[in-house]
Amino acid sequence: MINLRNVSKVFNSKVKALDAVSLKIDKGDFVFIVGASGAGKSTLIKLMYKDETPSNGQVMVLGKDLSKLRRREIPYLRRRIGVVFQDFKLLEDKNAWENVSFALEVTGTPRREMQRRVNQGLALVGLQDRKEAFPGELSGGEQQRVAIARALVRNPDILLADEPSGNLDPKTSLEIFSLLERANMFGTTVVVATHAQDAVNLLRKRVVELKDGTIVRDERRGAYNY
Amino acid sequence: MRLAAYMFSQAFRSLWRNKLSSFLSSVTTGFALFLLGISFLISINLGYMYRMAETQMEIQAYIDKDATYAQVAAVVSEIREVAGVSEVRYVSKQDALEELKEMFQDKASVLDSLEEENPLPASVRIKTTHAEDIPGVVETLKNLAIVDDVIYQEEVSRRLVSIGRAVQYLSLGGMLVVGVVSVMVIANSIRLAIDARRQEIGIMKLVGATDGFVLTPFLLEGIFLGFLGSVIGTGFAVGVYNWVFGKIAEFIPFMPIFDLDLTSAMDMFGIMALTGIMVGIAGSAFSVRRHLKV
Repeated sequence: MINLRNVSKVFNSKVKALDAVSLKIDKGDFVFIVGASGAGKSTLIKLMYKDETPSNGQVMVLGKDLSKLRRREIPYLRRRIGVVFQDFKLLEDKNAWENVSFALEVTGTPRREMQRRVNQGLALVGLQDRKEAFPGELSGGEQQRVAIARALVRNPDILLADEPSGNLDPKTSLEIFSLLERANMFGTTVVVATHAQDAVNLLRKRVVELKDGTIVRDERRGAYNY
Repeated sequence: MRLAAYMFSQAFRSLWRNKLSSFLSSVTTGFALFLLGISFLISINLGYMYRMAETQMEIQAYIDKDATYAQVAAVVSEIREVAGVSEVRYVSKQDALEELKEMFQDKASVLDSLEEENPLPASVRIKTTHAEDIPGVVETLKNLAIVDDVIYQEEVSRRLVSIGRAVQYLSLGGMLVVGVVSVMVIANSIRLAIDARRQEIGIMKLVGATDGFVLTPFLLEGIFLGFLGSVIGTGFAVGVYNWVFGKIAEFIPFMPIFDLDLTSAMDMFGIMALTGIMVGIAGSAFSVRRHLKV
């Protein structure tokens, strides 16, 4: 599903964010990427949806070598990948329903099917009653749930999350992680970069730890710390 | 179909949402196009004055007094065929005398003595479509057997030709300069409006929107704003022109000035709308493109 071979990423020809990282993630995996700030977690996630390109090495996602992907093919890759961010990245002038349906507008989904899937997606994250609310009227946790609904509404093969609970309190964080776990149970491969110790320890998934741009630990059913 | 409807609804929603900046873009576009319109009208007027002067240029070919009527008729029809000739008029000896009497009405009695033996030659008066055709026509006339002499305002016609060229270059150059400036002004105002929506474009790309999908609503906005700008610009240009026209007609009645009728105003609007729309498209496309590389 995702396969990184000897991937390095150097910024401005001196800052080394990733150094010869190799990582294989299979279909249906749930992977936590942990490590201190600046260890390279975000960069690793960004490489997976071609927001960044590696300086060296090969990134294979969904059977495609991303460095060989043409610019006009990127949108089609991203349609199979849902991405969730720390800052939610919702459109402020669209309500919850429209923010979710936006992901389907892009692919030209017929109106009737769109309605069904958006309602389903919002129900999945427990926001069926807040369809009309704009991001400004929603709490942080609710906004992130809208973002997750948007990421999942296309039944993506992969769900990437970069610090999804970074702006949320511990209780809300756990709600978000349980949503990600549910997505994983439906068969979506999930990769989460996070600092949320409690969630990592509770869920006991595969844990990949980065330190100064290299993988120092890759453990099945791991915890946040050794 | 649904996609097109979506694109239009997106474009108009965002226009409405960014009312103020949309409005300002249109006004800026309108102002730039107003300048373009004014320079267009000035060039129309220069051309108009030039044509007025041109039509008043006349060549006179004096006919040999022994020429028969048949010869004259043959020559007249021959001259009609010469390239550049627009109007040919035969003036007989008698006509020439009448003309002279007309000119000296108060001294007509003096001319009465000429009635018995009219010394005035018959002539053919010729007008050309363009002043620059005059020398060629004159050459042809000189070679005709029954033509005695050819008289025309040589110096004036030569000057008119060079003025005509200057007018053409000047108005073309002026419109070009104003056109380029308008394009830059418009493109810049669109760019500012789009820069403000970087985040939106980024999110669209993130959820897998193709470049075309992102670009199209912006292009539609650009078209709309450009068109609105051309309406504003033409409106002001026509208004100002008609006001100035009225003033000139009032104070300098003999000055040849082009009366802007509906057809010409529509022509001008067509040019302005086309410019506005093209600039709108170009401005949007360039500005959005910079943000598409996500």
